[in-house]
Amino acid sequence: MAPTGDTVSLDAARTALSGACDDVREATAADAVDGVPASLVARPASTAEVGEVLRAAAGHELAVVPRGRGTKSTWGRAPERADLVVDLSRMSAVLDHAAGDLVVETQAGALLADVQAVVGTAGQRLALDEPVPGSSIGGTLATNSSGPGRLAVGTARDLLIGVTVVRADGVVARAGGRVVKNVAGYDLGKLVIGSFGTLAVVTEAVFRLHPVAPARQWVTVGVDSAGRAQELAQRVVHSQLVPAAVEVDWPGDGDGGAGSLGVLLEGTPAGVETRTAALTGLLGGGTAAGTAPAGWGRYPWDDDGVTGRATALKATVALSGVAGALDAGRRAATDAGTTLSWRGSAGAGVLYGALPATAGPDAVAAVLGPLRAACAAAGGALVVLDAAPEVEAAVDTWGPVPAIDLMRRVKERFDPERRLAPGRFVGGI
Amino acid sequence: MSVTHGTTTTAGPVPGDTPPEATSATGDAHRHSAGIEAVGRVARAVLPVTGVLSDPTQLRTYECDGLAHYRVTPALVVLPETTEQLAAVVRACAAHGVPFVARGSGTGLSGGALPRADGVLVVTSRMRTIREVRRADQRAVVEPGVINLAVTRAVTGEGYYYAPDPSSQQICSIGGNLAENSGGAHCLKYGFTSNHVLGAELVTPQGDVVALGGLAPDSPGYDLLGTVVGSEGTLGIATTAVVRLVRLPEEVRTLLVGFRSTDDAGAATSAIIGAGIVPAAIEMMDALAIEAAEAAVHCDYPAGAGAVLVIELDGAAVEVEHEYAQVERFCTEHGAFELRPATDAAERALIWKGRKSAFAAVGRISPDYIVQDGVIPRTALPEVLRAIAELSSSSGVRVANVFHAGDGNLHPLVLFDDAQPGAGKAAEQVSGAILDLCINHGGSITGEHGVGVDKAAYMPRMFSDDDLDTMQLVRCAFDPDGISNPGKLFPTPRLCGEVPGKRKHAHPLVEAGLADAF
Amino acid sequence: MVHSTGETRQQLPPEEPPGTGAQAHGPVPVGTPAVRPAFDTEHPPSAALIGDCVHCGFCLPTCPTYTLWGEEMDSPRGRIDLMKAGLEGAPLSDTMVQHFDACLGCMACVTACPSGVQYDELIEATRVQVERHHQRPAGQRALRAAIFALFPYKRRLRAMRGPLRAYQASGLSGMLRRSKVLDRLAPTLAAMEALAPPLERREKLPERVPAVGQRRAVVGMLTGCVQGEFFPAVNAATARVLAAEGCDVLIPRRQGCCGALSVHNGRQEEAERFARATVDAFERAGVQTVVVNAAGCGSSMKEYADLLADDPAYAERAARFAASVRDVSELLAELGTVAPRHPVDMTVAYHDACHLAHAQGVRAQPRALLREIPGLQLREIADPEICCGSAGIWNVLNPEPARELGDRKARTIADTGAELLVTANPGCLMQVASSLERQGTRIGLAHTVEVLDASIRGIPVRGLGIQR
Ligand SMILES: Cc1cc2nc3c(=O)[nH]c(=O)nc-3n(C[C@H](O)[C@H](O)[C@H](O)COP(=O)(O)OP(=O)(O)OC[C@H]3O[C@@H](n4cnc5c(N)ncnc54)[C@H](O)[C@@H]3O)c2cc1C
Ligand code: SF4
Ligand code: SF4
Repeated sequence: MAPTGDTVSLDAARTALSGACDDVREATAADAVDGVPASLVARPASTAEVGEVLRAAAGHELAVVPRGRGTKSTWGRAPERADLVVDLSRMSAVLDHAAGDLVVETQAGALLADVQAVVGTAGQRLALDEPVPGSSIGGTLATNSSGPGRLAVGTARDLLIGVTVVRADGVVARAGGRVVKNVAGYDLGKLVIGSFGTLAVVTEAVFRLHPVAPARQWVTVGVDSAGRAQELAQRVVHSQLVPAAVEVDWPGDGDGGAGSLGVLLEGTPAGVETRTAALTGLLGGGTAAGTAPAGWGRYPWDDDGVTGRATALKATVALSGVAGALDAGRRAATDAGTTLSWRGSAGAGVLYGALPATAGPDAVAAVLGPLRAACAAAGGALVVLDAAPEVEAAVDTWGPVPAIDLMRRVKERFDPERRLAPGRFVGGI
Repeated sequence: MSVTHGTTTTAGPVPGDTPPEATSATGDAHRHSAGIEAVGRVARAVLPVTGVLSDPTQLRTYECDGLAHYRVTPALVVLPETTEQLAAVVRACAAHGVPFVARGSGTGLSGGALPRADGVLVVTSRMRTIREVRRADQRAVVEPGVINLAVTRAVTGEGYYYAPDPSSQQICSIGGNLAENSGGAHCLKYGFTSNHVLGAELVTPQGDVVALGGLAPDSPGYDLLGTVVGSEGTLGIATTAVVRLVRLPEEVRTLLVGFRSTDDAGAATSAIIGAGIVPAAIEMMDALAIEAAEAAVHCDYPAGAGAVLVIELDGAAVEVEHEYAQVERFCTEHGAFELRPATDAAERALIWKGRKSAFAAVGRISPDYIVQDGVIPRTALPEVLRAIAELSSSSGVRVANVFHAGDGNLHPLVLFDDAQPGAGKAAEQVSGAILDLCINHGGSITGEHGVGVDKAAYMPRMFSDDDLDTMQLVRCAFDPDGISNPGKLFPTPRLCGEVPGKRKHAHPLVEAGLADAF
Repeated sequence: MVHSTGETRQQLPPEEPPGTGAQAHGPVPVGTPAVRPAFDTEHPPSAALIGDCVHCGFCLPTCPTYTLWGEEMDSPRGRIDLMKAGLEGAPLSDTMVQHFDACLGCMACVTACPSGVQYDELIEATRVQVERHHQRPAGQRALRAAIFALFPYKRRLRAMRGPLRAYQASGLSGMLRRSKVLDRLAPTLAAMEALAPPLERREKLPERVPAVGQRRAVVGMLTGCVQGEFFPAVNAATARVLAAEGCDVLIPRRQGCCGALSVHNGRQEEAERFARATVDAFERAGVQTVVVNAAGCGSSMKEYADLLADDPAYAERAARFAASVRDVSELLAELGTVAPRHPVDMTVAYHDACHLAHAQGVRAQPRALLREIPGLQLREIADPEICCGSAGIWNVLNPEPARELGDRKARTIADTGAELLVTANPGCLMQVASSLERQGTRIGLAHTVEVLDASIRGIPVRGLGIQR
């Protein structure tokens, strides 16, 4: 290998970066990305600065990992390199809230909670759940995280109407706009959602907003089997009660089969009351409450009592496959001598599973096999969102990805030198 | 076979190996005649006899879509019945560098399905099978030629429907909807095609068949499906779509409201939305549009109205009840002089018929017209409508307005009589000025009809070179040779070139031991 | 985004058109200049009417040939394009004719078109041109000749009655028999024969049927060729119902064919001849209103004004006559019914005959009349706008697609689960009956007036195929 770079080139890179942005520092251990130490951290203050930073990084062939608030930096596979962390926390402004148009424009480093606070003053909300507290807009987009509310309002792809990104070569590009309805040009927003920072750095985003419903009510009912959970979920989704969320919660440490199904209704106070009565009839019982049941909207691996680094799974299935996946995972976990806690949207077919830190690589692999097969049989997939390094090293994080060749080609066009979060995404992208 | 026959466009000579994308929007008939012959041979080998058309008389009927003033006769038309047949034709096109254009029902209003004189038109009208209705999963799996309304009809018996409802829903295809990301009156509440197509099988411009998305949401990897939806056939041809089925609401209330002016109707709309109500639809028509619809379908809209709103509320009965009372109050407060709720399905259908026939109905009040499609932030409605009225009165060109008031998607219909000298020109100017209004108000040049060949030249007004260049990276990834519907969507093609070579040596920081290649 | 009658409208930004080749252009002749253009100058399809088509495609889903084949050139929009090509100088090629010929003339597209395109006028003008300028292959010519030598003539039709007599029919030349034309006709004739009552059960109609109770109108009644020969009970029922509702019904003896088949197939002169005779017959009877119970006849008689517009001796009379024509259900709806109804406890599916629903816009009236009958449950057939494939003589000329359309219709009819199928056209009844039989669905068949007649008289419905 040619002995080219050394500290000299790092210094040169740092100098170049400092010319692009006034907040560049050497990385600390805390800046490591999923165990991969970073060398430098830049905190640009504007889209233009991000452009400059990335151009400078390109000039010095630095691998770049964008970071919002770092709450999910261990998700996906660890990057191969993380020479430069582009930290967006200085770009935290909510730029414009057009209440009359139900639209908000925000910088990517803004906290989701801050955006909610701003739009909330007008009785509106950005209908993105925040399963991981402290998330930024950019991080939420890059990981496509979602919660119970996805059943009724969808996910980031259904809410993002405009986006500004900075390419690996520093070019700034916009797509979409500030109006909800718009079909001019390719929808690049969709492409960057869930791309784990491997295509471009998102710097600004425009979202459509929803009015906050005046009343909410949760109805929770116990279920003694996955089959029962699916059956009740089916009753609710095929009803005309317009549920805002249908969640299943099935903790692994509970006795045998005990779990619950939680349904959220939103609307006017009188309407919600009438619908709640109808719903409890439909479910054959259940407890209604004005507040969310414990764990609602949180990932099961973040629950109190979970210690160490749990393995975080995301299973997606067609609705008729919910019970199959829940059961397959449970059974495989029992067989592997461990436990699996499930929680997620039985109404949308997106389930999150947590295997305890005690489950080592073999146990996790033993669960993944049958569970992945069950998800595939139900038209879905299973990915390992997060895991301890030794587990991550031993398992197939993303599983089979059908259109992987096309995805590689997209990556090659956007980032031919593979400098954006290399290796973090599907198929080693 | 003569591929030059019936060609109605003239493109200049094209240098030897420029990709089709880089030539004219419509192609040069002479250039690919050998390629066409070759593709024709493949097509005849894999398709039934009636599935390959090369008779000039027949080709002629495919020369335009719903935007009839752009006309190009294709060199060859194929009507595949299966994905395999379609892919075989596309592979042959790729092998011979022959451009191809997908066509569903040919109702597009931006010339998206305008053929190439040197290319193949791939028509999906014989791929009309609804393969599966999966009620438990709330999904249907359909072929691309399936008519939008046919999906709803197939599932209403089970209490479901397909939500995106373009006015052309009785004839437009799911493939065309997917390509245009079509919307409809009800997308205010339920979203557009992109929110309802969860999976697709795509024949890539190389002729490969790939699965994007599927029955379950959030498939791992890039959301290529999200990019393909709305890409106007430039990234390949969809051969299957997995669509979301939506539960029929318990209650639907349709209300026809007469106002003296569009200002009043606009104010009522703002009040309704401002109160946190999300109606299934709020559509507005002005006096001229009402006149046209009345002439066409006798929809019996309130006499003397300066504007009508068609408001639909749906959902759980108790909630609809509540919202309905509020909507009635807001309308009355803002000067509604007649509120006419539909009392049965027939009345509801008649109210909608007036609205959904409006475009074509304008043919009854004007010999010629331009259908514009622009978007503005909803709050800018009164201002923009006044500006359009001024444009109209200062130019003497009549403009009828039909629009999705809830989301600010305007469809001004610019009327003229081509028999009068200069009238066409004047109408075009007004139409263009309306688009400028939209752009200046932070809106879009198209809300649902697409860019196609018609608005490609407007794209630079909305997007920078860098924006367009970045979009074309996607194009280059899917279709480096630029053979899938070339000449549409982008004002100037990007020559894709080779992907720059990957780095061969280890990274300097890794070498320096400062970083670890994990 | 431009809809335009001409093709020179475009909406381009000021600076630069999108691509050099996509601009609007004037008409470019298709075909070599040496070729004779499709149409002559005598009443070609009107360019102005063609220009009304904005290419929206709304007519496509209702077009039976488009639903069968999914091809643009076999859709209304495509056929209009072909007419336009013809006007612009394209030759009347075999292909072009084939696509015009494939049109059923069902006029579903006319109903569907929001832009008000008068496709009916366009296709009729085109057919006349095709007849004038296109030489069909010998076999086809013979078949058409046979049809037009037979159907419009009651006496010849009568001669065909009885399975054996069909092959010995007088009035048809030996040439026809040799050309196997009769084999093509045989299935249709057999279908008609199967449905028609035995000869001895024919009810003879008097020349005048007086009104029951107070007289509210005096009407003339057309008996029709096929209706009169094969479905005489329908005519008898029509007369009784009209009389029961207070009409003096005059039935001129010397009426002949109304010319519907001829006019729908471009046989202009023949059609005109029939039309003049019909006008004469009813003028002699001196009636204000002419009532028709066969949809095809009614629609062509309502168009006499256009048909005879160029005939100075008849133009005005034809217009007056056309304005006096009513479908029987239309007339009953206008008059308002007075005769008491007895219950008919049946589920009934009503099938819209194209020439009633599309050509005359009569949809609500027959349904309303049926709904008035106590006990009767009316069911709707899915895709009501799509033709059953009978379409005059289309099913004789295009047996295979006709069968497919008939089978589709039969399936949707069977899906209603109704006991009785009601429609107002003899052609539809025959077409649907044979499809229903093929598919093994047992359902009664009746004309609307037969059901009304049964209800007024308090007797069981006497349609066809009803187990009595
Ligand atoms: C009267 C009228 C009213 C309309 N109202 C609306 C409305 O309310 N909302 C709305 O959004 N649109 C509307 N439209 C526009 C049009 O109907 C839609 O754009 C529709 O989606 C086009 O469908 P199509 O099957 O006719 O597609 P086509 O016109 O045949 O094709 C449209 C585009 O899709 C591409 N395409 C077609 N099939 C495929 C495929 N399988 N894979 C990839 N690409 C494909 C074509 O190449 C072309 O670029 C209206 C049109 C008319 C004439
Ligand atoms: S008349 Fe009937 S068959 Fe002919 S084009 Fe119209 S709909 Fe089609
Ligand atoms: S519906 Fe009318 S305007 Fe539209 S294509 Fe058909 S004939 Fe033309």
